[in-house]
Amino acid sequence: MIKSIWELFNKEDLFECYQCARCTGSCPAAMVLNAYGPREVLLRCLNLGQEAVVGDERIWYCTTCNVCEDRCPQEINIPELLTAIFNLAAQRGNLPEKIKFGVDMIAKTGRSLIVNDKVLKERQKLTLPALDPLNIDEIEGILKKTGLNEMIELS
Amino acid sequence: MMRFAFFLGCVIPVKYPGFEKATREVMQALDIELVDLPFSCCPAPTNMKLAHYDSWLALAARNLCLAEEAGLPILAMCNGCINTLKEVNLILKQDVQRRQMVNEVLEGSGHQFKGTIEVKHLLDVLYKDIGLDRIAEKVRHPLTGIRIGCHYGCHLYRPPRLMYPDDLSEASSYVPVSMDLILSTLGATPTQYSRKFLCCGSALGTNIDAQPANEITREKLTQMKKHRIEAVAVACPSCFSQFDRGQMMLERKHHDGFGLPTLFISQLLGLAFGLDRANLGLGDHRISLNPILERI
Repeated sequence: MIKSIWELFNKEDLFECYQCARCTGSCPAAMVLNAYGPREVLLRCLNLGQEAVVGDERIWYCTTCNVCEDRCPQEINIPELLTAIFNLAAQRGNLPEKIKFGVDMIAKTGRSLIVNDKVLKERQKLTLPALDPLNIDEIEGILKKTGLNEMIELS
Repeated sequence: MMRFAFFLGCVIPVKYPGFEKATREVMQALDIELVDLPFSCCPAPTNMKLAHYDSWLALAARNLCLAEEAGLPILAMCNGCINTLKEVNLILKQDVQRRQMVNEVLEGSGHQFKGTIEVKHLLDVLYKDIGLDRIAEKVRHPLTGIRIGCHYGCHLYRPPRLMYPDDLSEASSYVPVSMDLILSTLGATPTQYSRKFLCCGSALGTNIDAQPANEITREKLTQMKKHRIEAVAVACPSCFSQFDRGQMMLERKHHDGFGLPTLFISQLLGLAFGLDRANLGLGDHRISLNPILERI
């Protein structure tokens, strides 16, 4: 379990931010959603603390395109900060259903999408190799050791 | 003959098996041997990494170990897969503490990460390993005159610090060119457009809300139309879905009438090579390909 996002991101790096907003200016999510922007997330982390951001559902508007890191003149690893925020948010139960579904599928089958008969028939028609079930005991064993189940409540 | 461990990922073999077929056929034509291994989900930089970083690291490491044990470099055809596998490969090669953590986790299943292989995207295998000359030799039906806009997809090259550490300019920036050059080799006219390096919006749609994600795609499509682009080329199934299915959803809402066919890079290679069209997944599209197919 993580107690703080600062276990995954060096807080001092945030002090380099002078709020120039190049990140938000280049952010695709901010382009279409006024309520979102990496600059604002950084500012709230600095001024209000992590609790002000990990409960906010809007953090999940991020497309994970990483352009914020590309553009930051201070070379702050913004995606790494966001990943730390996402991880703690997920642990607290702030995790979109669709992401939870994907993670759940991976934990149960090793794949993030369902392989049903229709898929297998389509593949057979194309003479593609069958998608055999994976060694799920092995994958479960790995995820048990990393503690995925303690971190996130899966269905 | 070059051999690669073929990393299918989750989206292509399930949603777009035709792209997998096209890739296998194209690689066979180029004398590349693809080996299937029991890989799991990469896992995606848009779900597992955000939910639990260490689980993401460990599962990716298991995939890397399978390829290491087979002594093969990995060829992946999805940007999500390449982002995870390249990043984790580099992290575990450089970060002793994380490598120790992961190897302790993997011990029970008999794997140990050693850092002996490379991970490559299909585009880089085509451009760097096979080379444009060998691709040119295979062209039977050049895509002459077709104005194609490349969408590389963010996870292919961002952050370049991790994705292309050896190709950084002095300004630490990196702009991908492989797909444009491949398309030129196929005889097409790769066409530049504003917002070429804007994200397609996919993860926002698949994780939270399709509507704003499609608006990002709409901005790109608008710019492509302005530059008289006739088709979009992609190298990722998530970007593909965003342009193809997203366009259909946008049409219902805005009636823009873009009608821009989207093609996966292997399909364009297969068409130019004159491979059997039944093997190129041409039926996997929501936006009609006919305006393009009629001209090849």
